Amino acid sequence: MKTSAILGAVFYAGVATLGMAAHAADPVTITIWCQDDERQPGLNLAKEFGEKNPDIKVVYRQIHFDDVASEAMRAYSTGQAPDIIAIDNPEHALFASHGVFLDLTDRIASSQVIHKEDYFPGPLASVTWDSKIYGVPKATNTIALYYNADMFKAKGLDPDKPPQTWDELVDAARKLNDPANNVYGIAFSAKASEEGTFQFLPWAQMTGGGFDKINTEGAVRALTIWKTLLDEKLASPDTLTRGQWDSTGTFNSGNAAMVISGPWELNRMSEEAKFDWRVTLMPVPEVGAPRSSAMGDFNWAIFKSSKHPDEAFKALEYFVSQDPRVFPDWGQLAARANIEIPTTGDAKKDAAVKVFMEQLKYAQPRGPHPDWMKISKAIQGAIQSALTGQASPKDALDQAAATIQGILG
Amino acid sequence: MRRLYSSLVDGRGFDLCLIGVPLVFLLLLSGVPLAYNVVMSFQAVDMFSLGSFVRPWVGFDNYRQLIAQPEFWPIMGHTATFLIASIAGQFLIGFALALFFWVNFPGASWLRGLFLVSWVMPGLVVGAVWNWLLSGDFGVFNFVLHQLHIISGNVFWRSDPAFALWSVVIANIWLGTSFNMIMLSVGLSSIPADLYEAAELDGAGALFRFWTITLPMMRSTIGALISLGLIFTLQQFDLFAAITAGGPNNASNVAQYWAWDLSFKQYDFAKGAAISVIMIAVVMVASVYYVRSTRHEVRG
Repeated sequence: MKTSAILGAVFYAGVATLGMAAHAADPVTITIWCQDDERQPGLNLAKEFGEKNPDIKVVYRQIHFDDVASEAMRAYSTGQAPDIIAIDNPEHALFASHGVFLDLTDRIASSQVIHKEDYFPGPLASVTWDSKIYGVPKATNTIALYYNADMFKAKGLDPDKPPQTWDELVDAARKLNDPANNVYGIAFSAKASEEGTFQFLPWAQMTGGGFDKINTEGAVRALTIWKTLLDEKLASPDTLTRGQWDSTGTFNSGNAAMVISGPWELNRMSEEAKFDWRVTLMPVPEVGAPRSSAMGDFNWAIFKSSKHPDEAFKALEYFVSQDPRVFPDWGQLAARANIEIPTTGDAKKDAAVKVFMEQLKYAQPRGPHPDWMKISKAIQGAIQSALTGQASPKDALDQAAATIQGILG
Repeated sequence: MRRLYSSLVDGRGFDLCLIGVPLVFLLLLSGVPLAYNVVMSFQAVDMFSLGSFVRPWVGFDNYRQLIAQPEFWPIMGHTATFLIASIAGQFLIGFALALFFWVNFPGASWLRGLFLVSWVMPGLVVGAVWNWLLSGDFGVFNFVLHQLHIISGNVFWRSDPAFALWSVVIANIWLGTSFNMIMLSVGLSSIPADLYEAAELDGAGALFRFWTITLPMMRSTIGALISLGLIFTLQQFDLFAAITAGGPNNASNVAQYWAWDLSFKQYDFAKGAAISVIMIAVVMVASVYYVRSTRHEVRG
């Protein structure tokens, strides 16, 4: 009996040396927190990783989107943090700057699977703090302009020449606007939440502005255009309180001729929109101006408190190795330029994905800054007070810039 | 030893146990979090120092900064409007319904029970339904008002700063009316019928009977109901989250939603705690007033 136990131990030790885990005798437990359900990559990849590595026990906990950051903070401050977490990209810097996440710079440099240069610059910047890398982009998304080509034709606009500049966009919205038939020219979201910032910031960035200089002339012009869209009722007044998902719903039902939204809409739009819909890049301030767009989605990170950083990193390597499946299996876009997007057989969707992949090159992260949520709140306040007429676009943005200056110090 | 035992089983010790158990329970489940909240509002709270109790003391800084924010007074004003309008609406409609069902026509009790459906629905579900009803372009509410020729163009209930707060008030009145009705129905049914018979014999009219019998007899029920209304209304959070998210431009923001937004959206836990301390103070003043006003009541 005793001999067999020793023999077994020797055998396991042999396996361990052959394999990669150092403690094969007692299985390592890796805890993963993520908001994904069974139709999304996180849960599936975590499960597969556990099945492929019998010596590692994977515990997956699904967390609601709104609770991810606050749950993680509470858990970390009481020493209950998981090993791996999927965190919304603007919140990454908050954790990285407080030294809560594990610095992965050296591990990535020597990794056979994860290569820094594969990633789009925006997502990569969101996991970077103080020129060190604290995570791996899980997926990415951005926003572009969807338009209803049938309505373009009906109003005498060329559907092959969608608006390319802000002026053309307003012009097209005026022509497409048709209150008698309950059609707004355009839909977007100016909601007082992260969604409003997500939609507005690219407009400021295209004119050389940014969160740290939100009151540039170009940004004021952008907000003035937003105000024009609302004042002339070219967009529904509910734009102020409606998120992107609901706004796009009105486009799908034919009540808005254009909508600014992201690739997460593609599957629903293929099912619901019974017309010729297409996507074009975000219009720019004037011909030749630099492009920009928003950047969304989550990053993987390892908590510094993890007792098994090697196994956790191995899990991240497995997730990254499966990036090519992220679009065909779960409809999300990997944050990497070197991933082939296979065709889906749906011509409209395939054309749209191409535009989004192009737009992703210009996607810029929000921040990164540890106090992003306060900065974002100031921007939302400016958008809302200008659009409700409480302040002029210039005054509103000046006020926001002053608040942000106070936060940046 | 034996005396101690017998005192515990049947004596002063037993009484002390009866007092002690709920007291410990209250202290652990209400007292400690309350004290923690108050202490936190005087500290500089970093999101990663949430778990520890020892943090830098900043005195009234959090309160000063909070009051200096331009949205502070408007939000407090909205909170007061929301409280008064919601409680008044819930109470008046609830009282009217309770009196109506008191007539006791066939099926009255059955119908009264059905009214509770609105009360048992989760706030977020009610919020989602009202969000849809009050939508500006295709909302049912606008359609009905339009058909009745009350409005000519669409009213953007959620997005017009003039209406946003009222759209939540409407939803909250709908949510709370049935609870008020049930409570008032219970109060009504406990009034002895012979009082009315006697008054009727003396020639008192319906309005006079209501004024001199119903209202005075309902005094304690009404007092309890209004203080409960105050508590429920100050706790109302789901509807704001689902209908307006405090927007546009804070036009429908109230203290309880702001506290949540500061704590869990901007991670400024200390200021979030400071708002809840202010709210606790308001509720305490209100409840002291309520207790004092009902204690000296002369009951016939």
